Amino acid sequence: MATLEMIYEKMYIAVLVILAVMLFVCLIRAVRGPRVADRIVAVNMMGTMVIVMIAVLSLLLEEGFLVDICLIYAMVSFLAVVVISKVYMGVYAERYQRYHRNENKENGEGVHEHGNP
Amino acid sequence: MNMEILEWIRLLAGGALLLSGLIIFLIELYGVFHMKYVLNRMHAAAMGDTLGISFSLVGLMILSGINFTTLKMMLIVIFLWFASPVSSHLLARLEVMTNENLENHCRNYSDLAVLEKELKEEKEEEKTGGEEV
Repeated sequence: MATLEMIYEKMYIAVLVILAVMLFVCLIRAVRGPRVADRIVAVNMMGTMVIVMIAVLSLLLEEGFLVDICLIYAMVSFLAVVVISKVYMGVYAERYQRYHRNENKENGEGVHEHGNP
Repeated sequence: MNMEILEWIRLLAGGALLLSGLIIFLIELYGVFHMKYVLNRMHAAAMGDTLGISFSLVGLMILSGINFTTLKMMLIVIFLWFASPVSSHLLARLEVMTNENLENHCRNYSDLAVLEKELKEEKEEEKTGGEEV
């Protein structure tokens, strides 16, 4: 039985190390991603891996309550994706509108000058 | 003696499922670095969100035995099955809305009839090509 427990512990630690390495690779993707959606996808992937890490940790430490934290983490990461994408859409629409208003204003002023000498 | 064999079988089954979950995560990472555009990358990322996490959490369920913990882990998997498509949809909409030169990466058909017509033409071309050969 002692050997079995040792194998369990070694396996959990190996899985944790592999997941940590993959987490860093995800972080590289999040930093390099050329567009905003790229970064959000990478952060979502990181969230998934962290969920698995916490679940493994709860079995390694034999603490059941860590799985609750997992569930909360899943919900929060989903909420973050939804909120960030909505907010970025709003920011983009505002910027787009402002840009077009400036363009129209410049054109309007040109017409104005020509219309009223 | 019998109990010990059962324990070993449980360890092997759980470890195999956990390992396949890790392999799915590796494939996901490879896909995300291999694809060139966000809408393609999302396809690889969604695989890890559903298949990867369900493999690894089912492995952990087998390792933990029948507990209240098992039920919570199942709840996480079911929640992610619902949440992942929604977030993918929102991200795709964000990308399509905010990208000004989307035409460089993909074609979009505002009318479905045009796409169906093109597909039909392609199929007919293939058929005639096959007959000639």
